[in-house]
Amino acid sequence: MEPEKDEEAPKIGVYVCRCGGNISDVVDVERVAKTIAEMEGVAISKVHTFMCSDPGQSMIVEDIKKESLNRVVVASCSPFLHELTFRNAVQRGGLNPYLYDHVNIREQGSWAHKSDPEGATAKAIRLIAAGVEKVKHAEPLERIRLSNHQRALVLGGGAAGMKAALELARRGIPAVIIDKNAELGGHIKEWGKLFPTDEDGQTLAARLRSEVEAEKDIEVIAPAKVTKISGFVGNYDVAFERLGEGGKPGEEAKLTVGAIIVATGFEPYRPAEGEFGYRKTPRVMTMPEFIAWAGSQPNGRLTLDGREVRRVGFLHCVGSRQIEGVHKPQPDGRVNTYCSRVCCSTVLNQAVQVRKRFPSVSVLDFHQDIRSYGRGHEDYYIEASNRGVAFFRYHGDEPPEVATDAEGLVRLRMKDYLTWGEEIEASMDVLVLAVGMTPSPIGDLIDMLKLATGHDRFLQEVHPKLRPVESSVNGVFLAGTAQAPMTLEEALCSAGAAAAKAAALLGSEYVEVDPFVARVDEAKCTGCERCVEECAYSGAIVMVEKETEGGGKVKKAEVNAGLCAGCGACVAVCPTRAIDLRGWSLKEFDSMVDGLVSAAERLAAK
Amino acid sequence: MASDYSPLILVLATSSCAYPGADEVGKAHLEYSPNIHVVRVPSPVLFPTDFYLRCYMRGVDGILIASCGSDCPYTSAYEKLAKRIDALTTLMKEGGLEMERVRLTAICTVCIKAFLKEVGQMEEQLRPLGPVDRAKAEALWEKAIKELEEQAHTKAA
Repeated sequence: MEPEKDEEAPKIGVYVCRCGGNISDVVDVERVAKTIAEMEGVAISKVHTFMCSDPGQSMIVEDIKKESLNRVVVASCSPFLHELTFRNAVQRGGLNPYLYDHVNIREQGSWAHKSDPEGATAKAIRLIAAGVEKVKHAEPLERIRLSNHQRALVLGGGAAGMKAALELARRGIPAVIIDKNAELGGHIKEWGKLFPTDEDGQTLAARLRSEVEAEKDIEVIAPAKVTKISGFVGNYDVAFERLGEGGKPGEEAKLTVGAIIVATGFEPYRPAEGEFGYRKTPRVMTMPEFIAWAGSQPNGRLTLDGREVRRVGFLHCVGSRQIEGVHKPQPDGRVNTYCSRVCCSTVLNQAVQVRKRFPSVSVLDFHQDIRSYGRGHEDYYIEASNRGVAFFRYHGDEPPEVATDAEGLVRLRMKDYLTWGEEIEASMDVLVLAVGMTPSPIGDLIDMLKLATGHDRFLQEVHPKLRPVESSVNGVFLAGTAQAPMTLEEALCSAGAAAAKAAALLGSEYVEVDPFVARVDEAKCTGCERCVEECAYSGAIVMVEKETEGGGKVKKAEVNAGLCAGCGACVAVCPTRAIDLRGWSLKEFDSMVDGLVSAAERLAAK
Repeated sequence: MASDYSPLILVLATSSCAYPGADEVGKAHLEYSPNIHVVRVPSPVLFPTDFYLRCYMRGVDGILIASCGSDCPYTSAYEKLAKRIDALTTLMKEGGLEMERVRLTAICTVCIKAFLKEVGQMEEQLRPLGPVDRAKAEALWEKAIKELEEQAHTKAA
């Protein structure tokens, strides 16, 4: 490899993060920093408890200025969490943000080598040494500016989707809602009084719907289905199909948007046949079924199958907080270990309503725990207790057994831990299964957008605390229960946040994307055209005629940054190494390998 | 030596699939050998044959190429990559480098078990081989560089 031309000597700042013990409980970070400090080109090597905190970031900014650093390496968590954070810090220090390398010593260090602190420490040294050698060859890069389609697509027209679209339109950003159903409103329009305000779901949905209809900057396309999404932030091409009667495919059309908000919501958990007696008797029903049925009954007397209902039971945690080995796995082999967050307060709300509307009906509540965690939710618990609702508590690994008795009534048996494990048996006219939330079936969309999902199958954000409504795909945001079980308040709050994020992105006429595309060193290019032949993106690399110093003409390869996808296929076939990927040059990779291997050799020699 | 020999392994992991997949393993607090180093790349399709040979020459014992497989976000990159690795293994075989030192696989963003299986198997198949023969690798690397120089002034076929 030839020597670097007129490059200033590297003065690298290396920062090793403890991550509040997440890293330093396993990796000896002080030893790591000390070892790295001995490397050529490293000006300072420090440790901090939380590099991503304000003081941690300020330390980088100040050191760059004070020590005239010209390169920075941070060794902390995965680059997907904080690479951008530290690039921005480097920029605030006055350096080009790409003169930075991020080393992962948490997800691929302390967490993956917990029982081997010595091995994890040595690995951290090797990885940081690789990062230091790599960053020596980093070049200042400018982000690529592309035109931005200042319009957003909202997928799903439930409460969260409508709220997101309204927030966008009110900031002057046009929004398009696509929903599979003809009428917007999602699930809430099927529900009665909602906690914690006792507002009617249908009324609330109608209010949101009329606001959406009145907003000139919102276009509603429903019923319709998205069939294809391509492109990138600022420039998403979306193909969709309007649906005819009975969901039959109809007219196809396309639109282009700059950002996408995924508000595809949830589906209530569907119990399997026979799960707590479900579908074995019409007297066992899910919460949505109960709300629809009870809502249609006149106040005073409740009858089912021509028989007066005297006792209603509510069973918590159906389809939630499942335990492997106790509950039957879902079709994908997993159990739903998560808490659905809304069922407890829903049960308490419905229990109170039953007692108010049908005073002769007694109510039984079978729970593992009661999680009435939200503001105003506890009031429902107090009111339910005051109105004589009887509570029974089972253990998660001993779910109640449900059967039908000779009279056709529902019989429930369980061990009650409010009475120290007494076996109880209760018969009732109706048993309501408080079913949890499961994600909507949006596999197609997940594939199209390459979205990340969690172990619970819900969509996953970049960071639960720091970037809670952003997906890992640039320009795609998450709103409402597509992300996780939420109450209506929480879903609307998340929709507002997603809309604010999308509006900030779409407020500008252009978007900036990472500059990691191919570039050609004209001096080295011999015009052999191997790169053009290898490239899969039409027009991304072309041969252009250039004048030589002697007045002759030669053909040289030229990259169109807007069309280059940055895969690097051209790099491997260039015989003179005239092509490289910006930010991922072969020289940077070679240096990483050198840094890693030399550190390994030094460590072995000690 | 033989019993505690732990091969130095590089995992060339795609930024959109295998790298986040490796992160998931850590997030689940599942363990693998600390001698396994994951290097983030947009797509391993960018590496020419001599890159791999240079790694061996420098003392890397094995390279696991963790691609996106059929989930590859780049048009036809996976097919090209597979061809390149084919050519590399042929070359290694001719030059006396064990083919077990390179392995092409696909790891998705949540493929925790697949990642652990792949790196575990890689380690198992490398351990009996012992450290890489750096001289053989260097000879092959020199040959590859020479070939490049010859190509430099010929047009694409």
